[in-house]
Parts: sequence; C-alpha cells; structure tokens
Amino acid sequence: MRTTLAIARREYRSFFLVPSGYLVGALFLLANGIIFLSSVFLPGQPATLRAVFGFDVMVLLLLCPAVTMRSICEERRLGTFELLSASPAGSLSLVVGKFTAAFASLATILIPTLVLVVLLELYGRPDPGEIFAGYLGLLLVGSMYLAGGLLASTIAGSQTIAYLLAVFFFILVSLSRTAVPAWIGPDAWETVSIFDPFIRMEDFTIGLIDTSSIVFFVVVTGWFLLAAVAVIETERRS
Amino acid sequence: MMIGPTAGHAPLSGGPVQATQGQVRGTIGHRGIIARGLSKRFGRLLAVDGIDLDFEPGAVIGFLGHNGAGKTTTMRMLCGVLPPSSGTISVGGHDLRTHSKAAARVVGYLPEGSPLYPELRVHEYLMFRARLYGIGQPAPAISSAMERCGLTDAADRIIGHLSKGFRQRVGLAAAILHDPKVLVLDEPTSGLDPLQVIEVRSLIHDLAEDRTIMLSTHVLTEVEAICDRVVLMARGRVVAEGDLPSLRAQMGEAEASLESMFVEFTARAFSVGGSRA
Repeated sequence: MRTTLAIARREYRSFFLVPSGYLVGALFLLANGIIFLSSVFLPGQPATLRAVFGFDVMVLLLLCPAVTMRSICEERRLGTFELLSASPAGSLSLVVGKFTAAFASLATILIPTLVLVVLLELYGRPDPGEIFAGYLGLLLVGSMYLAGGLLASTIAGSQTIAYLLAVFFFILVSLSRTAVPAWIGPDAWETVSIFDPFIRMEDFTIGLIDTSSIVFFVVVTGWFLLAAVAVIETERRS
Repeated sequence: MMIGPTAGHAPLSGGPVQATQGQVRGTIGHRGIIARGLSKRFGRLLAVDGIDLDFEPGAVIGFLGHNGAGKTTTMRMLCGVLPPSSGTISVGGHDLRTHSKAAARVVGYLPEGSPLYPELRVHEYLMFRARLYGIGQPAPAISSAMERCGLTDAADRIIGHLSKGFRQRVGLAAAILHDPKVLVLDEPTSGLDPLQVIEVRSLIHDLAEDRTIMLSTHVLTEVEAICDRVVLMARGRVVAEGDLPSLRAQMGEAEASLESMFVEFTARAFSVGGSRA
C-alpha cells in the first residue's frame, strides 16, 4: 500500500509539473466551455448539462490516453523502470499506483468544469441528481479510458504509439455501435449491446444510475489493469 | 582461486560457501552476495554463462570486463531487475526468488547513467524513493544521504537542470537512502570530474565498512584504488577472480598491472573460443 501511494503521489505530481498536464486540463475546459455556450447556455434551453456530458464522453476518449501515455513508456525511456523493478514495489503496486494518479488527475481536470454547474444554478434550476449522475458517469467512463490507456502504455514502445493504440481502440468500440447491428441483426445486437460502454454512459447523462453499469465499468477497468500487470510480470520474468 | 569458466559451478575460494550447489535457501549465513550457476539467455545469445559469486559484507568488489561481457546483465540479475534463466541468487541473506521484496529492501542499485525523473527537485525525488522503500522517518535519512553525497546545497534544484556529475550523486544518494546491506553500482564515477571521483571513491570506501559493494567500471585505476577484490568477466563467464596479488600470481607476473591482466585474461577467454549462442 505504501509503495502504491508513493508511486501515485510521484506520478500525480509529475503530471502537473510538465506542460502537457496543464494542456490537457485547458483543452478539456475549453471544449466544455464551447459546447456549454453553443448548446446549453441559450435562452429557453433546459437547465441541464446532458449535452456537455454527452460531448465529454468523446472528449475524454481523446484526452484520457494523453494522461496515461507517459505512465510506463516514459519510465522505460528514462530508465527509471529499472529502478522501480529493483525496488520493493511489485507490478500490481506499480499499475495501481499509476492508475490512482491518473484517476486523481482526471478528477482534477473535471473540477474546473463545476463552474458550468454554478452558471446553471445562477440562471436556472438544474436537477442536482442528474448532474451528480453525469459526473459519476464521466469518472467511470474516464476510468475505463485511463485503464485502457495504461495498458497501451505498457504494451507500446513509445508514447505516441501508446496514445494512438488506446484512442483507436476506443474509437473502434464507439464505431461498432453503427456497424455491428447491421452485420449481426437487431436481435443479436440487443444482447451484445450490454457490453457497449457508450450506451451505458447515455444512462448517466440523463441522470440514471444503474448498478449494473457501475459494475460494468469497474470490471472493464479492472480487466485492463490486470492485463497491464500481466504484461509487466511477463516482461519481468522473461 | 578459480580461473576460466566456472565449470560445474564449483565453490569460489573467496569466502565460505554455505549453500549447496545450485541451491540457495531462503536465508543464507552471510549477508553479502551469493550466486550459484547464474545464467541469462536472450534468445540465442547466452549473455551470462553459469557464473558463481560469493562476496561477504565489508568487501568492495570491482566488476571488470569488455563491453558485452555480461557485467550489467549480472548486476541487473543481482538486483532483481532481470530474472536469471537459471541459477540462484541470495543478497543480504535473502533468496531473490522466494523473498524478492525482502531482498529488494536490502539492496541499493545505481544503474548505468543514473536514471532520474528530470521534472522533480532533488529532495522530492529522494522523498519519493524513501516512501517507495517504506522508510519510517524519511527526513533524517534524506538529510544524511544528501550530506554524504554533497547534495545539501542542491536539495531544491530541479534534477533536469543538474550537471551529469550532480545527477550521478543524486542516483547514489537514492541508492544509499534506505541503508542497504548490498550496494550495486554500475559505473558510479562515470561523468564525474576528478574531484568528484575522489569524493565518490571516499564515500564508497566509507560505506564499505559493513556492506558488500559491487561496482562496475572501465577505469582500472579506480579498481586499484578502492576495490578489495576483482571479478573479471569475458564472454559471459568469470575468467579471473580474487585480490590483485592473487591475480598477479595467477598470471605468473608479480609486477603485472591491472591493465595487462585485463588484456591477458580477456584474450585467454577469447582464445578458448566457442560460441555463446
């Protein structure tokens, strides 16, 4: 636990010591501001952030892999991975520590968007439950992206490859919503779609908190992390 | 004393061998470094070929060899960074295979080039390392390590802005932070100016009192200055091992320089021939 926290603290601090951390945060806030002003903050519009949350699912798809692309790749490039391998930190501590830091970074990036909630409160009467569900959904889908990005960073030889690998994987999953039903038919798609994270995320954006969706995101995130541990363990033993 | 390939993994004469051949138990009698039949294969290349090592605490061991001799691979295996393809290792009294975490806590490692996080300040990096090794009271340990390595005035400096010599010192401070019983230093004086080299040698000398220190270097005068014993590797094998007088005796030249011994023993290893693959 101590080693996990040590890795998480160092990683979180390093993320905001380099310009890319602030760049990711600023881009996210900018994208949110644009969609808020163009789709929400208009006379006669309902006081809801559904449009922002729906948009953020895709923005996070592009930003979360940028948070995690350095995780393991950069350790390898610097040679510090060797020091971590010689330390008492095991592969699980390393991966969980990295993920904890990435999750904390995501939460930090989300915090400034609360100003949009304040604006809604000032000019309308938004449903707090719906906003809570939306943020919970963003954290869950963000966790999945981060864990996928972390796995990509473990597999890839460079940060760029790690980023592209994670982004293209999740874009393919996203595109499968339109392509797969046509191939397998609507009945089969109804069964397969329970594995579609984007359909599950739609529930959160309209204020629905489904326990099965929470379990789904937690399991998928956990699977990515365990796969990352397995990759590192295999590498250490070979 | 053993010369040439460690055929049959016979015990070294350098110290008492308390493990049975090819087997190191969970806890070994002395808290130095013991390796038996250590090999590492990368695909078809046999980088380390069945070497035996036995070093008790209090010794400074110079690890010599041509580029690609297997020094760094051996050091990585001793630190738990690389798993051996075969053979067993005990460091600080702990079997690396069965008690890897306990072993990691008693080993300090400085890899070649001293890899660090360039965005952190010196004290931040050392705090990270202290937490990583679970040091209960990190502040005194960090303060002591910085003082020993001449880093007190550089505590607030960003690592990426430091000279190579200072970065080497930071790596060394991090390696001794948790007061390890075994120190493995891969070219610790690389990139240092002559004054810094003297300081690091002095530090290694001080640290050696109750520790096993293994260092690799290409600077032969360094070995003569600070090492009690020399391990000479060539083509993945230990070709000579012992203190300088005994190496000279093996060569049959009482006045032989370390340089001439290096050349002679390495040439013998290559003349034996045979593929490492």
